[in-house]
Amino acid sequence: MSENNQEKEVPFYPDHVALEAKVALGVVILVVIIGVIGLFAPVGLGASADAMDTPLHVKPEWYFLALYQLLRFIPKTIGATSPVLAVVLLLIWPFLDRKPDTSKKTTKIRFWLSFAAVLVIIALTIWGEVS
Amino acid sequence: MKTIYRTILIAALSLILVLAAAAGVHAITANQPSPTESIEYSGEFPLEPEKDTCIQCHIDEQFTNIWTPLGRLVLFGAAGLILLFGVARSASVWRSRSEWVPIPTRILAWIDERYQLSEFMKPILAKPVPDWQRRWWYCLGGITFFLFLVQGITGIMLAFYYKPTPTEAYASIQFIENEVLLGSAFRMIHHWSANGMIVMALAHMLRVFIMGAYKSPRELNWVSGVTLGIMTLAFGFTGYLLPWDQRAYWATTVGTEIGGSIPIIGDLALVFLRGGWSVTSLTLSRFFAAHILILPLITVGSLGLHFIMIRKQGVMKPL
Repeated sequence: MSENNQEKEVPFYPDHVALEAKVALGVVILVVIIGVIGLFAPVGLGASADAMDTPLHVKPEWYFLALYQLLRFIPKTIGATSPVLAVVLLLIWPFLDRKPDTSKKTTKIRFWLSFAAVLVIIALTIWGEVS
Repeated sequence: MKTIYRTILIAALSLILVLAAAAGVHAITANQPSPTESIEYSGEFPLEPEKDTCIQCHIDEQFTNIWTPLGRLVLFGAAGLILLFGVARSASVWRSRSEWVPIPTRILAWIDERYQLSEFMKPILAKPVPDWQRRWWYCLGGITFFLFLVQGITGIMLAFYYKPTPTEAYASIQFIENEVLLGSAFRMIHHWSANGMIVMALAHMLRVFIMGAYKSPRELNWVSGVTLGIMTLAFGFTGYLLPWDQRAYWATTVGTEIGGSIPIIGDLALVFLRGGWSVTSLTLSRFFAAHILILPLITVGSLGLHFIMIRKQGVMKPL
């Protein structure tokens, strides 16, 4: 963002609401397209659940796949406790990192930190998907 | 002239009332034709024929008496007459149109006079938005919220037909996909919009984290945001079991097992999640209850906190 238009302001209504409505309209169009695709290629169902028949490869949904893949290589107790601790850490993070930002440097550090974390998660997810 | 219009209006309205009453009395007193005679359903979903209310014969207008079509004719006819009356009345007052206030405006003014909403809404709507805030990366949270609304609407649509029991869940989803009008479209939207919601929530969280927007005085906003993120994942986890196919069943078995291997509280967590030691109909019931009642309530509450705090504190201005 450029520095010179920082002082500029628009009223929330109607200017900003109009912008948000445009974004919402874009999402609606996307959602309708997905719905139309669904008419011709439905989500579908697998075989009906059978408690007696364990499939060979059980996989969770993609957003739990990284965690699931991680659990294959670390002991079960640590593997089950670490996500809980990670969530708790995430929840209390603002109370741990309290120093106000003074320069762009901290932003850059946080960017590369989250970049690395996302990269690891994506790698684990792909690994879990192909294995 | 005015009294004539009023008389016509009152006459039309009383005609509707009388006929509605007659139709109601008839509906209660008349002998119902046996629906099994008039309908033969051969879909995959097991409809109980003796309980079928025969919607199709009403659509096909296979009426056994004169009252229903007559009642409908008069009802819609009267509605048409009222519309005509409105048009005629509007035409007759055309000369005084400069004093005319549109009806929606008048309704809003009437409500506003009573609830005094504009007093409450004015500061909200008038709040200026700085130009630096009108960038795509400030949209991510809003898109997540919008997708949550989409999930709410499509979820209600699916809940009309879904049956949360092991014997019927699978068949009811087949029914939604094959028989229900636009059922497969709604299920597809619900499925993909759930995935989109997770992606958007994650992107929103990364944006907030990288910019350092969680710092004082916005710590609690971050906490409510992480709560919302957990809720999104919980929605995904509980919703995944509901189709009751092999993938759903075993993914839930494995997923709850992970919860079960937490030290000290593991067994408690496992029994709490499954409603027993294995994934059964009780698991399905509680996942369904969580998915449609508990999680939406917590989510809506957290959303309220999240939005109020954004309003109070504003979006953090980057350095």
